[in-house]
Amino acid sequence: MNNSFTPSEFIATVNQTLEYAYSEVVIEGEVASFKVNQGKWIFFDVKDAEASVSCFMTLYQLRMPLEDGMKVMIKGIPKLTKWGKFSLTVNAVRPVGEGSIKKAFEMLKNKLQKEGLFDASRKRSIPGDLTKLGVISSTGAAGYADFIKIINARWGGIRVQVAHTQVQGVDAPDQIIRALKYFNEKSDVQMIAILRGGGSADDLSCFNDEMLAREVAASRIPVITGIGHEIDESLVDLAADVRASTPSNAAEILTKDRREEKEKLWRNMKVVKQAILQEIDNASFVNVDKCEKISRGLMTKYIEPMISENKNKMMRIYERVKNGINLGRENLKQKIIMLEALNPEKVLKQGYAILNGKISPGNVVKITTFDQEINAEIKNVRLRNK
Amino acid sequence: MTEKMSLNQKIENLDKKAEWFYSDDFNLEEAVSNYKDAVKLAKEIEKDLDNLKNEIEVLAEDFSKK
Repeated sequence: MNNSFTPSEFIATVNQTLEYAYSEVVIEGEVASFKVNQGKWIFFDVKDAEASVSCFMTLYQLRMPLEDGMKVMIKGIPKLTKWGKFSLTVNAVRPVGEGSIKKAFEMLKNKLQKEGLFDASRKRSIPGDLTKLGVISSTGAAGYADFIKIINARWGGIRVQVAHTQVQGVDAPDQIIRALKYFNEKSDVQMIAILRGGGSADDLSCFNDEMLAREVAASRIPVITGIGHEIDESLVDLAADVRASTPSNAAEILTKDRREEKEKLWRNMKVVKQAILQEIDNASFVNVDKCEKISRGLMTKYIEPMISENKNKMMRIYERVKNGINLGRENLKQKIIMLEALNPEKVLKQGYAILNGKISPGNVVKITTFDQEINAEIKNVRLRNK
Repeated sequence: MTEKMSLNQKIENLDKKAEWFYSDDFNLEEAVSNYKDAVKLAKEIEKDLDNLKNEIEVLAEDFSKK
């Protein structure tokens, strides 16, 4: 009979058939009956509402925390065990669906945080003179194209080595790890950028891989991430030295802007020029100040004494003239007094009279008093005895 | 001399030259020639900035292989 086998032959034949038909399968379902044996082997079922598949894997292969109820996508090889039990030997497992991704993320984040993997003290800064950069991304991805476009527009002189890897899916973490190892072991780049544009939580879940997060944290060369959008935060972001919100933002962080540099350049030159002009102004002020001091010196030493001496002379002349005038004025006053005393009217007022005409008996003479004029005839004339 | 320098070295050099103008060493006698040197270097940097290109190399390594 053609279909007659020993149990071993039967199992070998089925496995051969399975390997031929389904060398590797991907199954999506919910985790159930999760358990770890001897700290090495992991057993669990992946089920949906109607069926369940037994799964087996090593603890080493588990890259994320698993627990019952989580939705996962597994990649594995279907096999019949020697006990005739069907099982899937799992190569990779990752969470699917927002709830499971979030749960796995939080569990692993807490674990790695406790180990100090995300500590700020571990973070290194971007080299100031970046001339050699390693990039890990998918060269066909829009995020990668944006990154290259922006660094080319902003700056130059950087040798960029690009490691083309998958940036989503179950194989992505291992490929990225291999690229990280390559740069750390075989290149002289100063910084590594891990880039991936926006996507769904499922698309980005490969960046929550435990081994990848550890590899990033252990990298000898500083790592910058530009994964997803501003709101997306992965474990790889947390483990990296610098986190950019997007690939474009990573390009901006890594490079200076040549337009800004040019503007800065001439702004600085302008400021320097101003400094020189200011200094010239200051020097002029110093000279003016010196001139002022000299002129003040000349004034004090020569001009002011001269003015002072002339002033004294003028004062003396003025005093002389003034005295002369006063003296003249006094003389004049005396003369006026004398003249006043000789005034005939004044004499008449005192009771005297003026006699005009020939003094001889019988002549008529004119007698003038203060208030009268009198014509009188002379009766006789005789001499007075003194 | 500056032709052998990298762009960043030239920028650092220019920054140092600019610092001199604010230092105690500043004097008017040297200022004009130092300013001319700085402007010359600034023009050189501007030219370098315009001509700078990045070199992009996609590695031949296949990272999908284990």
